[in-house]
Amino acid sequence: MFKELIEPFRHPSPELNLRAAKDSEGKKAKAKAKNWTVTLGRIWTYLAKHRGKLALVLVMVVLSSALALLGPYLIGVAIDDYIEGTGGQSWIQFLLLLSAVYILFSFVSWLQNIWMIGIAQETVYRMRTDLFAHLHRLPIPYYGKRQQGEIMSRVTNDIENVSGTLNSSAIQIFSSMLTLVGTISVMLWLSPLLTVLTFTVVPLMALGMRWITRRTGPLFKQRQRNLGDLNGYIEETLSGQRVIKAFSQEARVIQGFTQRNDQIYRSGFWALTISSFIPKLMNGLNNLSFAIIAGIGGILVIKGSITVGVIIMFVEYARQFTRPLNDLANQWNTLLSAIAGAERVFEVLDEDVEAKDEGSSVTLDHVEGAVSFSQVSFAYEAGGATLERISFEAKPGEMIALVGPTGAGKTTLIQLLSRFYEPSSGTIRIDGRDMTSIRRESLRSHMSFVLQDSFLFEGTIRENIRYGRLNATDSEVEAAAKLANAHSFIVRFAEGYDKKLSADGSGISQGQKQLLAIARAILADPSILVLDEATSSIDTITEIKIQEGLQRLMKGRTSFVIAHRLNTIRKADRILVLKDGRLLEQGSHEELLKREGFYSSLYEGQLKGESMGLGS
Amino acid sequence: MGLIFTFLKKYRVAAIVALSMLLFELAVELVQPLMISKIIDEGIMKSDLSVVWLWGGVLTASAVLAFLSGIASSFYASHASMGFGYDLRDKLYEKVQSFTYPVFNRFATSSLITRLTGDVSQVQDLVFMSLRFMTRVPLIVIGSMIMALVVHLKLGLLMVCTVPILLLFITWVIKKSAALFRVVQSRLDSVNGVIQENLTGIRLIRVFVRMSHEVSRFAKASAHLMKGTVSVLRLTETTMPFIFLIGNAGIIAILWFGRRDIAAGSASVGEVVAVVNYSLRTIGALSAISWLVVSFSKGRASAMRIEELFSTDNDAVGHTQAEQKTPLIQGHVEFNHVSFFYPNNGIHVLEGISFTARPGERIAILGATGSGKTSLVQLITRLYEENEGTVRIDGIDARKLDTPNLRDAIGYVPQEVLLFTGSVRDNIAWGNEYATLEQIMEAAKRAQIHETIEQLPQGYDTMLGQRGVNLSGGQKQRISIARALVRNPSILILDDSTSALDVRTEAALLDSLTDLSCTTFLVTQKISSTMSADLILLLDEGRLIEKGKHDDLMSRSPLYRQIYQSQYGEEAQHVQRTY
Repeated sequence: MFKELIEPFRHPSPELNLRAAKDSEGKKAKAKAKNWTVTLGRIWTYLAKHRGKLALVLVMVVLSSALALLGPYLIGVAIDDYIEGTGGQSWIQFLLLLSAVYILFSFVSWLQNIWMIGIAQETVYRMRTDLFAHLHRLPIPYYGKRQQGEIMSRVTNDIENVSGTLNSSAIQIFSSMLTLVGTISVMLWLSPLLTVLTFTVVPLMALGMRWITRRTGPLFKQRQRNLGDLNGYIEETLSGQRVIKAFSQEARVIQGFTQRNDQIYRSGFWALTISSFIPKLMNGLNNLSFAIIAGIGGILVIKGSITVGVIIMFVEYARQFTRPLNDLANQWNTLLSAIAGAERVFEVLDEDVEAKDEGSSVTLDHVEGAVSFSQVSFAYEAGGATLERISFEAKPGEMIALVGPTGAGKTTLIQLLSRFYEPSSGTIRIDGRDMTSIRRESLRSHMSFVLQDSFLFEGTIRENIRYGRLNATDSEVEAAAKLANAHSFIVRFAEGYDKKLSADGSGISQGQKQLLAIARAILADPSILVLDEATSSIDTITEIKIQEGLQRLMKGRTSFVIAHRLNTIRKADRILVLKDGRLLEQGSHEELLKREGFYSSLYEGQLKGESMGLGS
Repeated sequence: MGLIFTFLKKYRVAAIVALSMLLFELAVELVQPLMISKIIDEGIMKSDLSVVWLWGGVLTASAVLAFLSGIASSFYASHASMGFGYDLRDKLYEKVQSFTYPVFNRFATSSLITRLTGDVSQVQDLVFMSLRFMTRVPLIVIGSMIMALVVHLKLGLLMVCTVPILLLFITWVIKKSAALFRVVQSRLDSVNGVIQENLTGIRLIRVFVRMSHEVSRFAKASAHLMKGTVSVLRLTETTMPFIFLIGNAGIIAILWFGRRDIAAGSASVGEVVAVVNYSLRTIGALSAISWLVVSFSKGRASAMRIEELFSTDNDAVGHTQAEQKTPLIQGHVEFNHVSFFYPNNGIHVLEGISFTARPGERIAILGATGSGKTSLVQLITRLYEENEGTVRIDGIDARKLDTPNLRDAIGYVPQEVLLFTGSVRDNIAWGNEYATLEQIMEAAKRAQIHETIEQLPQGYDTMLGQRGVNLSGGQKQRISIARALVRNPSILILDDSTSALDVRTEAALLDSLTDLSCTTFLVTQKISSTMSADLILLLDEGRLIEKGKHDDLMSRSPLYRQIYQSQYGEEAQHVQRTY
């Protein structure tokens, strides 16, 4: 029992470097304040759309704060004039006035909340959709550098943070400040002496608040970081569940989880404990000022300098005076985290979008499909080159195969063609036109890609294929599925094309996913088709059938194919052999075999698969 | 909600202490108006300064005491609620990890994540709030009512009358808004779902130029969420104005009757003042309810989502009935008339499969897309269980084996590459946490990735992003093969995990595996990989249509010959006619 009583006080004290914080405070404070004003200013630009309605809310808040002050004053008058004294005017009239004040107060505060919620939620909605739309304008390299979970938490958690604060805190903070100013003025008017006495607790309050917020600020940040860490860990271990189970590593991930949970517990305990001192402090000081007013006020009444009514009013005002302070203190942390959240949101919004299409950029109605690379180089990071001076030409209607060892730069070349990345030097031309002079979206709408990871959306099979061309009819969808050899497995499902696929695409095999991705690309009806290992998980017989279908379909269209199976490659009009980012050889299958270079050794290797696979 | 609060048991001492300190604080607050009425009636009215000093002093002392107990109660309250949250989160994660794979798949990953994070925090907040505020409101209300009745029965009754009306209204709001919050929560889920999907499929969306399509889809989900949020918040925000309205009506009544009673001599000025004071306190306490309503109904919804996980049980097949512990698995695998279908649809994925694999043998599994190859190897890993027939490992029914024990002996390379955040070294060592650097390098060499790793900027200590973005598809595949090899498995399963490798690397890799003593299952599309196998299993629509060595199948199986021709024969183009 004793152990349990003492336990809460035995938590190791938080690691806070207050001195370091103090030293850099001066410099940082300025930068921080500037950041805040910028952030708040940007939130304002969102709110400004509702300027008229906000002004009305503001009027309501002023009105309700005034009414909130009037209430206690009238009660003081009631006690002085009617309860204690004999009363001047009509008692009934006075009560009617009081009722009117109360009713009006309820009505006005109801109205202000209803309006503010509408404004706040509409604002959050716009911020959310803006952020989301912006994500679609960011260049692809942005996504290569960041964890998906991290980006996601900005659209979800951080926006939710802003939402919660705008709903309630905005009004509360404003009305708290108004009430504060109003209360102090009325108190000063009633009795300057008592006001000064009441204010003796203010320095104590300021000191206490400073002590608390200097600790809670870093602690809350620490907790958010720990929480983010835990979220990432959960996401990873849940999406990797198949591996964890098969490797029987449950105990190990549970241990990893406990470690992170521990960190949250440590920072969270102190953040929570210290921040909950705030209302206690306010309450305590409130009670203290209560005692001061009652005691000293009593003496003043006896000395005749004030009336009993003034004491009653003062007690009530003192409460009203500390309440907004209390509210402000309570709101402080949520306000801070909301500003931090908004900052994180704006950070994304400030990221440069995919380099703007130049002013002269054109929209193409038709693309023939001629593609040429001249002296194209590219590096993901400054330094090592991933592609070096690649030059080749593809005529409309040609099938180009890219071969080479893994890591040779085949996928990178495709990424340049899709303009996910821009070449560091050299030019890529489409139909003889510099690719950078064509609007990205226009360019992409004439191309169709089957990417390495065949991503499917949550939805029916039909919806997933139709993603290739949104206005395609059901029969066009089915025709594409037939061409991709997906039709036969689709109709085996009881629901057929209306079979729902879950978000992670479970329920169908990897190869079937690739078939659907191919159907989707076919439906898009492109001038240029790009297949990046699109058939790697598909059996070779089906693969051949798909190719035959594609050959018919691709008459007069250009296609790029990355594959390892040489029988796929063999039929290409031109084969590009890549190794370590360089274009070693190019030509048709026969030409390359004759040359007896890298390609022919690859080919021989595959034909002699027996001996190499057998090994021993 | 009952189940969840059993987690509070461990912290009941701290919780009780926190609550009793709260009581003390409250008591101080409640007697204050009484003391003030004493100062007015006995001190000021009778011009007795000593009474004023005395009660003023008592007021001050009690304020200090209440403050101290408030600080102490903060410690107890956060100790109880943080501990509660910690335990709940830990146990919930353990529970999720204890699910069998089919049960695990019943929940969407994103929904499990929110339950473990957001929902637990929500319930934890509720506990903390309860320990500090939730109890405060009823206590202030009840205390004020009692004190008001003690001070003056008739005037007190006036105040007490308003309370039932308010309570009725508040319960109605809570009920209604809890239901609305559940709706909001599910809409938030779908908004998050769209975001997650878009981030994962960002490249695809770009190349298909579907940005505006996705943005309008998101805007729709987002607008749906906004409407839901607005309607629930507008409901909860009516609480406060309503409470003020009714409460203030009570005050007017007290003033009216109070004045008459003073005139009649049945009440003192101090008594009227005190009752008015208690009314003001009650209204103040109740007005805090409008946001307590929000956190209470949110917490309720979250608690229900958590309890759903706790009450989910694994299907009572196998798994739990481990009777035998096999100290060392030799790698003898036998399928005896095994049939299998996935829980969510009744279509047979595997039907009547029988074969035997002896320790050290290489088994190649070949078949068309969707013929059941992956399902077959998953039965060996016990991610799923067969519906009919038996799978025997070393002659023992796999259902009777201790699953973790069996899995320790398996090296599994799934079709989809799953790497974890951390260095290359961490990722390989993930297969065997006691592996030395030498063993890790040995595995990497066998997986033909050692040289590539050496060329990375920090070699084995190079960090991989969440999705291993810096590496090509083939490089990632080889790391995940190294991860399986470092376990020194008795059974190695490669599920089409060399698809992104060029022919040479693949051949070298398969070659380096031949001197391993483990039983190897190789799901593949390539004849070049099957030629070296001791046994080839040829699957077609879930049935095992042929088994044997390469030469047997070449002579016996037309399908196998077709596959062979599709890869080697010039006549491959003609395959379609005969297939």
